[in-house]
Amino acid sequence: MPLPTPLQGIRVVDFTWVRAGPWAARWLGTLGAEVIKVEWPLNLDTLRQNRFTVPPGVEPGPNSTGQFADTNANKRGISVNTRTEEGLELVKRLISVSDVVIENFSSRIMQRWGLGYDQLKKIRPDIIYVSMAGFGHTGRHHWYGTMGPAAQALSGLTHLSGLPGAPPAGWGWSYLDDTGGMYGAISALTALRHRSATGKGQHVDLSQMITGITLTGPAFLDKTVNGRKARREGFPPGNRTVWPGAEVVNNYRGPIAAPHNAYRTDPGGYNDWAVIACLTNDEWHTLVNLMGSPDWADDRFDTIEGRLEHQEEMDDHIEEWTKTMGKYELTEKCQAAGIRAMAVQSSQDRVDNDPQLRHRDMYVPMDHPMLGPWKFQNAPFKMSKSPARIANPPPMIGQHNREVLEDLLGETHEDVLNGYENGVLWPTTMDRYPYIEEALR
Amino acid sequence: MTSANGNLSDGSNGQDGVDIGGALPANLSLPGALDGLRVLEICDEKGQFCGKLMADNGADLIKIEPPGGEACRSFGPFMDDVPHRERSLSFWHYNTSKRGITLNLETPQGQEIFKRLAATADIVLESRKPGYLESLGLGFETLSADNPGLIMCSLTPYGQTGPWRDYVSSDITQMAGGGQMASSGYDDIDVPNPPPIAPGGGNSWHIGAHYAYIGIMAALYYRFLSGEGQYIDASIHEACALTTEGAIAIYLSTGEVVQRHTGRHAAPDMSPAIQFPTGDGGWLNTTRSGTNLTPARLKLLAEWFDQSGMADDLTDERYQDPEVIAAENDHIVQVMKNFFMNSTLMDSFHGGQQRDFPWGAIRSMDEIVADEHLTDREFFKEVEHPELGRTFTYPGPAMLFNGSPWRISRRAPLIGEHNAEILQGELGLTNSQMLLYAEGGVI
Repeated sequence: MPLPTPLQGIRVVDFTWVRAGPWAARWLGTLGAEVIKVEWPLNLDTLRQNRFTVPPGVEPGPNSTGQFADTNANKRGISVNTRTEEGLELVKRLISVSDVVIENFSSRIMQRWGLGYDQLKKIRPDIIYVSMAGFGHTGRHHWYGTMGPAAQALSGLTHLSGLPGAPPAGWGWSYLDDTGGMYGAISALTALRHRSATGKGQHVDLSQMITGITLTGPAFLDKTVNGRKARREGFPPGNRTVWPGAEVVNNYRGPIAAPHNAYRTDPGGYNDWAVIACLTNDEWHTLVNLMGSPDWADDRFDTIEGRLEHQEEMDDHIEEWTKTMGKYELTEKCQAAGIRAMAVQSSQDRVDNDPQLRHRDMYVPMDHPMLGPWKFQNAPFKMSKSPARIANPPPMIGQHNREVLEDLLGETHEDVLNGYENGVLWPTTMDRYPYIEEALR
Repeated sequence: MTSANGNLSDGSNGQDGVDIGGALPANLSLPGALDGLRVLEICDEKGQFCGKLMADNGADLIKIEPPGGEACRSFGPFMDDVPHRERSLSFWHYNTSKRGITLNLETPQGQEIFKRLAATADIVLESRKPGYLESLGLGFETLSADNPGLIMCSLTPYGQTGPWRDYVSSDITQMAGGGQMASSGYDDIDVPNPPPIAPGGGNSWHIGAHYAYIGIMAALYYRFLSGEGQYIDASIHEACALTTEGAIAIYLSTGEVVQRHTGRHAAPDMSPAIQFPTGDGGWLNTTRSGTNLTPARLKLLAEWFDQSGMADDLTDERYQDPEVIAAENDHIVQVMKNFFMNSTLMDSFHGGQQRDFPWGAIRSMDEIVADEHLTDREFFKEVEHPELGRTFTYPGPAMLFNGSPWRISRRAPLIGEHNAEILQGELGLTNSQMLLYAEGGVI
């Protein structure tokens, strides 16, 4: 018998779209909540249109993108036009039998629908409402819009990443969509514990942008306690902890250390890099031994001051050594000696070459109706009694209308058929997909 | 302001009469969401942020440090740049709202005290090497034997099993293995022959902590249903590997590996630049250049730029045609760049947002601490350090829990600050035991 899931019995109404919101609800679903994604085909979730993730040979369409698939696994989906009175009524009935409402629209959309927290709690007094707007629902700029990259910029995260004297490198993806999603899930789960303890629901007003500020705490305190100028020479120091010649100030990643850098490895391809970090003098001496105690590694490098002073020369020499082997060989050699090192792993490396992720079942195989045999990302933790699980592929748009409306809300089959005729459950201007026709039979 | 539980009627005013559009948690004396839960934390930099997330939400968190304190108390920067284990701003930030005791878990007396504390705990969070606590007789099986509701989470670099479980790590090695570096860096045109860049700020620890927190909260709900605790084996490597947005999906879908680009999404192909310099030396992130430039939106831009004579020909009627906008994209972007170079970072940012362009100023702390939107949300938290006679401004929460306020209940504990309060006050150790344990290296 399969083990139970931790969030069994919890129902989530998921109005989210794009990445941050859907990713939040995805984890609630992966933990066993019944997540019902509410969509409308004329306002397609942009991830359903992601041009990079339609596999070759698969017919393009809203159900055919790999990025939507992983971001929305473990959910069911309905299509409802909330701009019609009947559609809004259906949504309210769904909310009345649900525990959590989660959305990441601009700050006033739900209120305009008549679904602000005041209204939600009339429908369901102990509802947990998680809003995930860029600037939140409160504050003078609540209506400002953000997507991941802009939120990262505003939060100070982008400023912490890059080489001195070059433009900010920032984060090469929407980190605050991933992490904003984490905080959406964190908000819902924290409020759920509060409800378990008190019986009360609440509104959690999350700001994606501010999420990033809370991840820059030491830099924040360096400003408010020390008055440190944030825009300064030699900062940010790339992969190092201190840039050669710059003032010795901690860069908020951990201890000041050298070597601490990315080095090229054999055969010199785009992702043939590995990092090495020696946090102590002992670790440095271990590395020197491992490199065969070369002549250049003399007593100038015995101290952290010396290694920082001669960092360029040291890094050049280290790289001469790292270029003689592959990144995994280097990793294994260093780790066997107790040195902190790791290959720079691409997406391909993680999926195909990483023995640890393979051992831990990070990529779970499951069939997807359009994509065929597919892999879904697993939870990064193992729960001994009630594990997270990859239970079902993402919903095709409108896929579960009938079971949700008839089985859960008690609509008659007639009502549902009518909903398709009058534009409440499907746009009258749009053809229905074969799976919808099939479901209506 | 409106009352109770986040009433979101429009037009609520902040203290200076500015419309802040909503309401702050009305009753700050309410308990936090995790009120009544006791957490024991045995964590260095890898897990302390997860502990903070619980403690600021109201859990009674006891941080157990080795005698002399955790090693990460030596991470800078330090207050007034004077290095000292009680002055680490990093430690201060990551350990708010916790109480702290010192305990040598490698002594029999230390183990005994820990077991007694664990019997009172709902959650044990630890980030020691896999197998370490077990080797001291302090593993989950032992601790939960008499406390079946106990939830124990081990948050470690690679998890408790597998070929890499004993690998050593630091923030940058986690970001290498997790894929953050393979997605972050530069176009050749900005930095010739560029390395992959590990984004800064110690975020591999954050990423691991977020997932550990989620696992713990899920286990709490399961305990609410079943009465049963459980063990959670959380891996920072897996958490990081999950946190590169579309890179994995792109590879699974097409077999393509993303390329790094300056300040924007890594992608299988080249994409237009989106970061532009401003006249005062800043950088503006435009999310993607020409975002949804419909004729109406282009008109808004042109009228704005025209106020300072920087619209070039964009006010021309011919731009009210989507085909012309598409064909002239390069020119339009050039006009935008010229405008930004003659404007300031914050003017460009606010001016864009006021016209519905979701742009972001690349802010540093120099700008963030002056953000009035944050003031409206009472983000800046004054935290007293009584032993210093000083009060400092800390970052608040990303989310307003309108029914169970988040709060920093105290500054980070000093080394062994609560030894007497907890070991004597709660466990009943005598004065002479405290003396003997201090001299014997137990506490």
